[in-house]
Amino acid sequence: MPEAIATFDNVSYMYPRSAAPVLRDISLKIRKGEFLGLIGPNGAGKTTLCLAFNGIVPQFYGGRFFGAVNVAGLDTLEHPISALARYVGIVLENPETQITATSVENEIAFALENLKVPRDEIHARIPRVLEAVRLEGMEHRHPQELSGGQKQRLAIAAMLAVRPSLLVLDEPTSQLDPVGAQEVFSIVQELNRELGVTIVMASHAAEELAECADHLVLLNAGQIVDEGPPAKLYTQIELMQQLHLRPPGVTRTFHYLRKAGFSIPELPVTLDQGIAAIKPLAVACRPQASEAQPVLAPRDGRPLVSVTHLAHTYDDGTQALQDISLDIHKGEYVLITGQNGAGKSTLARHFLRLLLPTAGEVRIDGVPTHDLNISTLARRVGYVAQNPDNQIFNTTVEQEVAFALRYLDTATGEIRARTEQSLTAMGLLDVRDRHPLSLPRGERARVVIAAILALEPEVVIFDEPTTGQDYQGARTILELTKQLHDAGKTVIVITHHLYLMAEYAERVIVMGKGTLLRDAPIRVAFHEADLLASTYLAPPQAVQLAHAVTEATGIPLQCLTPQEVAGALACDPTGHNL
Amino acid sequence: MSTMAFRTVERDSLFTRLDFRPKLFMIAVITVIAFVWEDPLMGGGLALSVLLACLAAGVKPGYIRTVLWLMLPFSLILILTQGFFSGALITTLTGLQPDDFHMLFVFPAAWPLIGGAGLSWEGVQYALNIIAKSLTMTLVIPLGIFTTDVDTMIVGMVKARIPYKIAFVFSSTLRFFPLLFARTQAIIEAQRLRGLAFETMGPVKRLRVYARIVVPLILGALNESQMLDVVLQSRAFDGSPDRTYLHDSRLIAADYALFGLFGLFLLAAIIGYIVFGFGRFTGVLW
Repeated sequence: MPEAIATFDNVSYMYPRSAAPVLRDISLKIRKGEFLGLIGPNGAGKTTLCLAFNGIVPQFYGGRFFGAVNVAGLDTLEHPISALARYVGIVLENPETQITATSVENEIAFALENLKVPRDEIHARIPRVLEAVRLEGMEHRHPQELSGGQKQRLAIAAMLAVRPSLLVLDEPTSQLDPVGAQEVFSIVQELNRELGVTIVMASHAAEELAECADHLVLLNAGQIVDEGPPAKLYTQIELMQQLHLRPPGVTRTFHYLRKAGFSIPELPVTLDQGIAAIKPLAVACRPQASEAQPVLAPRDGRPLVSVTHLAHTYDDGTQALQDISLDIHKGEYVLITGQNGAGKSTLARHFLRLLLPTAGEVRIDGVPTHDLNISTLARRVGYVAQNPDNQIFNTTVEQEVAFALRYLDTATGEIRARTEQSLTAMGLLDVRDRHPLSLPRGERARVVIAAILALEPEVVIFDEPTTGQDYQGARTILELTKQLHDAGKTVIVITHHLYLMAEYAERVIVMGKGTLLRDAPIRVAFHEADLLASTYLAPPQAVQLAHAVTEATGIPLQCLTPQEVAGALACDPTGHNL
Repeated sequence: MSTMAFRTVERDSLFTRLDFRPKLFMIAVITVIAFVWEDPLMGGGLALSVLLACLAAGVKPGYIRTVLWLMLPFSLILILTQGFFSGALITTLTGLQPDDFHMLFVFPAAWPLIGGAGLSWEGVQYALNIIAKSLTMTLVIPLGIFTTDVDTMIVGMVKARIPYKIAFVFSSTLRFFPLLFARTQAIIEAQRLRGLAFETMGPVKRLRVYARIVVPLILGALNESQMLDVVLQSRAFDGSPDRTYLHDSRLIAADYALFGLFGLFLLAAIIGYIVFGFGRFTGVLW
């Protein structure tokens, strides 16, 4: 067995002002060449654990620390962070906050310069690490010119240049689009398998971790709940559900199949395993074909949002939208998806008059946005941006919700009534006197939604609402969108997290390179794998399993969720569906 | 959110190729001369030269326009205050008595409180001198800073024997500005999306709304600076000057020429001022 490169011995830790330990009795061994995945809900202690590897916890934050962390033979309490940086490379969640230099080569050189590596040696290492992360030839580019995925790869390259014994990555893909996430996982896997770099990665990306990790550690409330290979942890469905975690879609599908009576000795955790296992099952039970392809029902009346031949070119010449035409009617739930830069947000910004068309027209309830001002529009079209913290300006939740109403000359009685209504709808009555920024991120998002609902808009746009959220946080926000939709609001969600949307959206607008690639019911759009791939999206694993079934049997299935796939396959011995 | 793109000059020119040290020297010399010269014509000439140099170096005209626009109210206030109230100063500098001042405008003597007060041409000239000084000092900074890559700036400053910690803090501050600006824009946009129509608000109401930006701005900045600290420490940064540098900062002929040119300019300006009175305020513009 390879030697241990890092060990945690009964580590417990409390931040200076935390009421309870964030890490409790953690004992862990990371072996040379291993790929260790850290999983757990938000607040489980994953980030704190990652920061303990290089001594940031407790040396930078202070607090109370018990036990010992040893990395490459060094006790992290006894050696300064700058000395530990030679052995531990760390990549954080947000690619933007990690960039410290104004060129790619300077970014890589920064740690080496601090470690007093001679100039010639720095020059020799830069092309090597850029090649390792597939950023060759970009030495002189400004990091801001890189995409999110490229920035994370640059952060990895900057760490690799130091030649650390251990590379720690804390949620490196949570803020990236699917193509960026795929780039990062593929590079990290390559570094681990081909160069033998030891990896520790905290991530909510179950499908990807199942493919890459050798070993998983499940954390909850600062404690290790269980550890083992992905096939051991992800297959404990009840435990995962209990901790509000999401096992890979393929594992959940086979879990439902097992519950439906199929004999499944081992639940698969990777897509390849799942496809190999589902085909014989499908051939044996001949699933029932899905009903005819659904179509978007024609809607009567004037559309609430009408876009005609819309084009937009930014000042720098970037053609962000080309010839977009679509209508959105009252009461629809629409998903707008596509890779970063596909034009999703640019399109939505036209609905709010934050941008005006270069060509074509956008009408809100029949009125061209040219003839409206932003504040008038904001009362009809609410917008929840990705980062709630930029949308909070007040010192209590109640003031935040009432903020706009006060400036819009609303009568005092009405302000009170609408604030009360919004707080109740978002379940914020108990925290009405709290500072909004003292609440967890999910609740902060609800404060912003409540403030927007107080304006009583007919349309609510959610721009990447699930980015940076764990599964439970994402589901909570999406349940809110469902509540709004059920209450008659028109809901537009912009996201590339397709696996989360199957149970919510009715209609999908797929965008790519500024054009509208597809406008179809979700059941149709999610099954057009080639179309999704053209804008660097992948359908959820359940959809891919349904394809495998169709491939094996010739029977078309248009399932979206693991339950639906299991339901389609579940049949009695006479061949009838259960 | 775009961050850290502080260098705004995209054009490659002599200014971008120069080392940061002669540019620092140039900034210092021009600032000193702008400070010394009181003559509005010479000061104006210096300001105009710096402005033209900025344009030649590729500083965006939009940036210069914004600077001039921001300086406009300040300039108008200066013209009024100096034009009306700088009598004693003008007498000290030129020996001219108030009765000899050329009055551009005088309030009728019968008017209460302000009756008889007048706007003197000499006072206006003195105001123009201050405006020229301010403009020179405001524009010479982007001429030096915008034409230098932040990383190169650090190396240049360290070579100029400025302590590494100070050079790093300086460069970090420069990187921080665009971030702060982008965040401010995002917050204002979020406020507009809550239905707030700034264009129809009175100045007091608008100020009250703008004041709300401060809380998220400061909290965001604190959070980001803490994250930056974590990132820096994780990359072995401890502020120690004992480190290596990827790039060397070597002076080339053009750098030495710039040193020489501005050294001579400073010398000539000081001698001219002391010995021949060049740049002194005379109160006689033509």
